[in-house]
Amino acid sequence: MTITANTAETTSNQKSTALRRQRLNDAIFRVLTRASAIAVLVLLGGVMVSLVAGAWPAFSKFGFGFLTTEVWNPVTDQFGALAPVYGTLVTAFIAMLIGVPVSLGIAVFLTEICPPFLRRPIGIAVELLAGIPSIIYGIWGLFVFAPVLQRTLQPWLISTFHHVPLLDNLFAGPPFGIGMLTAALVLTIMVLPFITSIARDVFETVPPMLKEAAYGLGCTRWEVIWNIVIPYTRTGVIGGVMLGLGRALGETMAVTFVIGNAHRVSSSILQPGTTISATIANEFSEAVGDTYTSSLFALGLILFFITFIVLAAARLMLMRLEKKAG
Amino acid sequence: MAPLPNAAPTPKTKVDVKNLRFFYGDKLALKGITLPLYENKVTAFIGPSGCGKSTLLRILNRIYDLYPNQRIEGEVLLDGENILAPGQDLNLLRSKIGMVFQKPTPFPMTIYENIAFGIRLYEKIGRSELDERVESSLRRAALWNEVKDKLHTSGLGLSGGQQQRLCIARTIAVKPEVILLDEPCSALDPISTSKIEELISELTTDYTIAIVTHNMQQAARSSSYTAFMYLGELVEYGDTERIFTNPTESRTQDYITGRFG
Amino acid sequence: MQRYVRRKLANRIAVGASVGTTLFGLCWLFLILGTLLYNGLAGLNLKVFTEMTPPPGSDGGLLNALAGTLIMTILGVVIGAPIGVMAGTYMAEYGRHDKLTKVVRFINDILLSAPSIIIGLFVYEIMVVWMGHFSAWAGSVALAIIVIPVVLRTTEDMLLLIPNALREAASALGAPRALMIWQIAYRAARSGMLTGILLAVARISGETAPLLFTALNNQFWSWNMNAPMANMPVTIFQFALSPYEEWQQLAWTGALIITFSVLALNIGARVMAARSQKTS
Repeated sequence: MTITANTAETTSNQKSTALRRQRLNDAIFRVLTRASAIAVLVLLGGVMVSLVAGAWPAFSKFGFGFLTTEVWNPVTDQFGALAPVYGTLVTAFIAMLIGVPVSLGIAVFLTEICPPFLRRPIGIAVELLAGIPSIIYGIWGLFVFAPVLQRTLQPWLISTFHHVPLLDNLFAGPPFGIGMLTAALVLTIMVLPFITSIARDVFETVPPMLKEAAYGLGCTRWEVIWNIVIPYTRTGVIGGVMLGLGRALGETMAVTFVIGNAHRVSSSILQPGTTISATIANEFSEAVGDTYTSSLFALGLILFFITFIVLAAARLMLMRLEKKAG
Repeated sequence: MAPLPNAAPTPKTKVDVKNLRFFYGDKLALKGITLPLYENKVTAFIGPSGCGKSTLLRILNRIYDLYPNQRIEGEVLLDGENILAPGQDLNLLRSKIGMVFQKPTPFPMTIYENIAFGIRLYEKIGRSELDERVESSLRRAALWNEVKDKLHTSGLGLSGGQQQRLCIARTIAVKPEVILLDEPCSALDPISTSKIEELISELTTDYTIAIVTHNMQQAARSSSYTAFMYLGELVEYGDTERIFTNPTESRTQDYITGRFG
Repeated sequence: MQRYVRRKLANRIAVGASVGTTLFGLCWLFLILGTLLYNGLAGLNLKVFTEMTPPPGSDGGLLNALAGTLIMTILGVVIGAPIGVMAGTYMAEYGRHDKLTKVVRFINDILLSAPSIIIGLFVYEIMVVWMGHFSAWAGSVALAIIVIPVVLRTTEDMLLLIPNALREAASALGAPRALMIWQIAYRAARSGMLTGILLAVARISGETAPLLFTALNNQFWSWNMNAPMANMPVTIFQFALSPYEEWQQLAWTGALIITFSVLALNIGARVMAARSQKTS
């Protein structure tokens, strides 16, 4: 009896010593991981603070008029955000207008219509499109796409709408090749794979039993998609669309090459313009003087603000769909 | 009350559960449980789903501590020491009270590594001694002959019954004093089940065993003492033979005869 | 009967439209890759990999740009990946039901999709201004900031996939949390986490905006981390917009190299993910 008791005790002591060492490691690791998580918060906070700090001089000099002034003159030190903001919003809007239906079409094809053996290769192809760096879209846009548009689409648009009241202003002006529409179209192609993959993931959460019930009643493919799949995934799809919008708003390199870099608000989308990110990319390294640099920071702050709102809304919507799917 | 001259000596209490109450958030899951686990004996816990038997088991090695929102009252004494006291060394506790789970959970490593993992937690021993320890654990778990030629292949490649015996070997390797088994055979076929039941009765020479089971025949076959639980309460506790042939409570009677559960 | 015919027609149109959009999307992929190959291959020769970026109007290569991108990409991952992994580990293991975790998850998703030019502005403000000059360090940090959210997300997702039973089994043996994480959880999630890191590498190898005002560019070969360093994206940017033919050709070739490297990394990550599915 005594012998077994002693052995138990010695083993216990042995175990204690070994554990004590590991407990220290455990505590250190725990602190490190928590610190890393907090670092992420600090990062975002830092970004916000630095943008505000950098933008402060410009906003204090121009006030909120900064947002409504079109003037952008480095010589007289007068800056206004209207043209870049306009360009950002318009190019993103057009990209969404064309891109969303196309993306949803592709997602529908991949999840409901595509024969199983083609599903993987086409899916991979779409995701490869997403992996192409944006600067590639830029140079492709400038050297290949724009000249083609200049020869084909743009003259066609100009002549077609020439005599249509209202729309003739939208599609007016000499065909430069580059311009807001071109930038928007390049953005569309960039944003396509993004929205497609999210929509696809979201479509796949529809319980097969639900679809089977509809088919069982004799619904056609399209009717199942329109009446079952899309309503079920509505929130998730909107979330995905907004993520795509966030991407389109912030895209820099693809747009910089083809937007034309003109600080102008034109009614025609065939004219050159500029976006916030294109302006910053093009002018930051040459900006002389505090007001100039600060105005560029101010643009960055505005962009951050816009994308933050869009992305936060997207996240909330996607969270709601996740809760629904269980 | 003096024991009769020919009666077996009263077994020593290894683990003493005293007035245990357990809360999930606001819900009271265990309503004042008091019972002993006798040394080197098998105590079985039976009862319908949701009666709290697994909850009780998971308190004994404080594995519930991994999750938030839970509160506990009462005492659990291991050799006289309250393991629920704050400041209790949890890792050390779990080296003394081991657990085998319902679903076999081999680690994503080789068979050898699965066993060595636990040993290395507590002891710094050389390769040859480690080899011996691994072999003896696998022998004790009646698995050695089946795996001695593939010690360095993945543990995930074994059958369900073998994986569960691997988990038992893993638990034994750490030299615990008590082994808790939470429905260890419910995911296994009848042949593996009987092998494991054999194993359990052999293990009592060195370990105190508590087993939760859905299978009443298993409880009747393998255990010396049985506790019947229902809706978080301990309804009846006693000698297995007596419980199954002559239960005092009507609820126990109903459960055993299959009237519910 | 009339109604049935109409329904069938509607279905056919819709299916046709869906096929049409897919072909539309695919054709852009092939167009872009096709033009890239056509224009880039023309200039692809050994010189590209052995000579430095040339002064305007003369021939040369992309060696310093390739080296610079390699250095800054590796540094970016070395700095960013550990932070991402550790933060993801906290969120999945120690702080799973924590309020901090919920907030970080939200913030991380925003950082994930934030315009990279804003990251560039941020690093400019805290490093370039503070140090007084552009540097490869600043460029690496900017890339690291882009790596962190990607790696954090995949790490957390992969760790969350591991069944709790495995964790409980380790804890039941008495293993402390950190040991369980290192020896069991990381091992089980290993290939998923690696995939995440590969995807992050693919992402940052092509990023231009964050480097524009941090690492800038450098015409020459330089090991100096404290000075501007040549890199592929900014070089391509400069050369493409220039009026010099040799430079434009190099821009196409560089674009070709970067695109196919990134695509190879993406495919590699996918293959690794698929292979891990089979063994688990």
